[in-house]
Amino acid sequence: MNKITSIADVRRHFRNNKEPIYFISATNFNLLGIGDWVGAFRHINYIDCFEGKQRNVFVPKQKFPRDFESIEDINNYLLEHKEVIDFIQSRADGENAGVASFLMFDEHTEEICKQLGLRVAFPPAELRTRMDNKIETVRIGNKAGVPSVPNVLAKVGSYQELVEASQELGTDLVVQTAFGDSGHTTFFIANEEDYYKHAEEIEAEPEVKIMKRINCRGSAIEACATRCGTVVGPLMTELVGFKTLTPYKGGWCGNEMFAGAFSQEVRDLAREYTFKFGEALREEGYRGYFELDFLIDMDTNDVYLGELNPRVTGASSLTNVAAFAHSDIPLFLFHLLEFSEVDFDLDIDDINERWAHPESVDSWSQLVIKHTDESVDLLTQAPQTGVWRMHEGGDISYDHYSYHPHAAENENEAFFLRISGAGDFRYEGADLGILITRGRLMDDDFQLNDRAKAWIDGIRQQYTGQALQDPVVEEVAVSHAIGGGNFKIL
Amino acid sequence: MITDGHHAAGPALDGELNKALTFRTVHEPTAGPKWQSLFEYHWPAYRPWYLTEGERERPSYLECYNALRHHMPELLGTYNTLCELAGGGDLSSRLLSLYRPPPYITGCSQAVLASPQSTVLARNYDYPPELCEGTILYTRWNQRQVIAMSDCLWGVLDGMNDAGLAVSLAFGGRKVVGEGFGAPIILRYILEFCATVPEAAAVLKRVPTHMAYNITVADAAGRYVTAMIAPDRPASIKRVAVATNHQKKIEWYAHALASETLIRERQLSILVDDDATTDERLIAAFSAPPLFRHDYRRGLGTVYTSVYRPNEGKTEFRWPGKVLSLGFDSFPEEQFTVHYASRGLYG
Repeated sequence: MNKITSIADVRRHFRNNKEPIYFISATNFNLLGIGDWVGAFRHINYIDCFEGKQRNVFVPKQKFPRDFESIEDINNYLLEHKEVIDFIQSRADGENAGVASFLMFDEHTEEICKQLGLRVAFPPAELRTRMDNKIETVRIGNKAGVPSVPNVLAKVGSYQELVEASQELGTDLVVQTAFGDSGHTTFFIANEEDYYKHAEEIEAEPEVKIMKRINCRGSAIEACATRCGTVVGPLMTELVGFKTLTPYKGGWCGNEMFAGAFSQEVRDLAREYTFKFGEALREEGYRGYFELDFLIDMDTNDVYLGELNPRVTGASSLTNVAAFAHSDIPLFLFHLLEFSEVDFDLDIDDINERWAHPESVDSWSQLVIKHTDESVDLLTQAPQTGVWRMHEGGDISYDHYSYHPHAAENENEAFFLRISGAGDFRYEGADLGILITRGRLMDDDFQLNDRAKAWIDGIRQQYTGQALQDPVVEEVAVSHAIGGGNFKIL
Repeated sequence: MITDGHHAAGPALDGELNKALTFRTVHEPTAGPKWQSLFEYHWPAYRPWYLTEGERERPSYLECYNALRHHMPELLGTYNTLCELAGGGDLSSRLLSLYRPPPYITGCSQAVLASPQSTVLARNYDYPPELCEGTILYTRWNQRQVIAMSDCLWGVLDGMNDAGLAVSLAFGGRKVVGEGFGAPIILRYILEFCATVPEAAAVLKRVPTHMAYNITVADAAGRYVTAMIAPDRPASIKRVAVATNHQKKIEWYAHALASETLIRERQLSILVDDDATTDERLIAAFSAPPLFRHDYRRGLGTVYTSVYRPNEGKTEFRWPGKVLSLGFDSFPEEQFTVHYASRGLYG
């Protein structure tokens, strides 16, 4: 194809695409619906959220309960599985098996892909790991003029050392380790007692980020660093730590995307920072999809850099379904374009300006529903993936099968992606499913609204489990739950 | 090697042990429906064995494939064909590679009697009869005709090819387990692609094994070696005509005592060193103690005796009261049951 110079060219290019493109992950949640835009696109997943109904989702039939340590571990397992290899090879064109994209991958994944003839559409794992380091994020932000919450970076060996290192930040502190998932490695420390709860984890680190605790709202924004500039998506709110959704304090449990999520001033600043950060990432050698968390100080309206996720994320499912994504192209297509061998020259400023317009952002929200009780049981029934309808009085019922959130037409409908199904263990922290709906799920005080609560209750009621009375079985179940299957959908 | 659930086993009414194993000869030059039905017959028993230590303990399909590709690339075509016949599943394909399978042990005695006129490789296979496949396969998967006692569905306990090469394996009496292949597939590889003892020795030196084995190889030119292979040390390959269940010095005393490895080695060494020993005398020795063993209760009884004459392309499988003669030119398909009891063996 000749040089791509317009969005129409990009659309045509991907519609006509013949080279296999894969998203390999535990589920296809993060890139729901991308197959509609890209020819020869397939998901390769460990969990079949669709019970075989979705043609572009490939799940190996022969699987064993395994103690997966991470999503990388799942992906490596998938890529070394004979059914997956046979599937990839059956679609390969000679030595070229196509393009692989992931939520997470490591050096081993890269080796396997090389052998299978798959090109990884992401910067090298080594670079991604370096970028993912929260300490490194602060450094890049500082260099690019994107401020972080007042902080110090230090090695901490005792509470006394923490106090000394953070003198200028006051006594109400937030400590983060360099790597870690939401809610697992962020510690709120206001006194010595708080410190001792987490001392072991903090002291094990060569360096931690110590921040002043501010009265803030979490937000997320996704972007893509391309050779023509950084394309920036809308600023979304984050649902964090709701006890009805997640057992992890401070754990991410959803997003909202709507035009007025924050003031115009805050939105503009966040977009500007994201663009600058994207350009700084390009200087570091990183390119493609990334996400930034911004912490918005509710007292001052200051916008601070929270963390960088150099990858597709849990918010990508919303970024890629909104009106702007459909009037132009989903953000992920810029990513695929950047890693394609096609030459392109697009006016990124023009796109960013369009995407900044409030009318480009229709309102969508998602809830990641985890099992929040300490109990463990075996699921005997689970709600199907598809469109669910809420009736007056708040009870819900299954309406019809669909693979795409867009099938939910109004706020009385929601698309539900089932993660845990019949035969799976339900344990504290297990992902039950993800609900995506139009409209908001929080009120202006960032509390879950009644509709959100009704959906959460409604979905939970669709699950039934069988108690595990036998202590031996229970022990097996617990170790299975804790050691394995306990990967999170990010 | 494992319980396949089809063979009668268990104590008789008077407490006497009475086990039975059905042997069958299968003639199928190109892998096809006969091999497929053998796979289907044995797979229900192999599957749980393969999963004994948990699925995660077994290498992935890609690791298995890469190991085969790296160490025995010529075998890949056959491997792919058999995987396909086995249904193309992930787990069955991993097992069929025999790369890092669960550990297992055997007994066995073997000896070569070589003269310029003829070479004879004879051996006793001592193992729980109910865990033996009992299949004698005639194949021509890769140009060469091969007759072999099968194990792990396509591996070889002992066998011979039409280039005049005969091989046999015995457990090496050591507990060490490491990165490598189950010996039966290494023997298969040798029979498919080697013609002489030096070629076989090069393979035994090069291909890693996951446990300790003593492999005896003999060819029609009268050459022979015994290779003591193990995952933790380089192979020792010497012109030794005899092998039982230890490598140099005894390391696993309990196994050595139970299997009487030293006594059997001594007996065989005396026999092969004696100029007066004829083929018949050597073969006869395998039918009597200490070589022939009745220890079926502990899984160390003799399941069969095999005799290979690579110059003539002929082999015999022997049980007290029964001899099955087979050759590349004469390989009738048949099936019969052998009963094993602790006081004797009845064909």
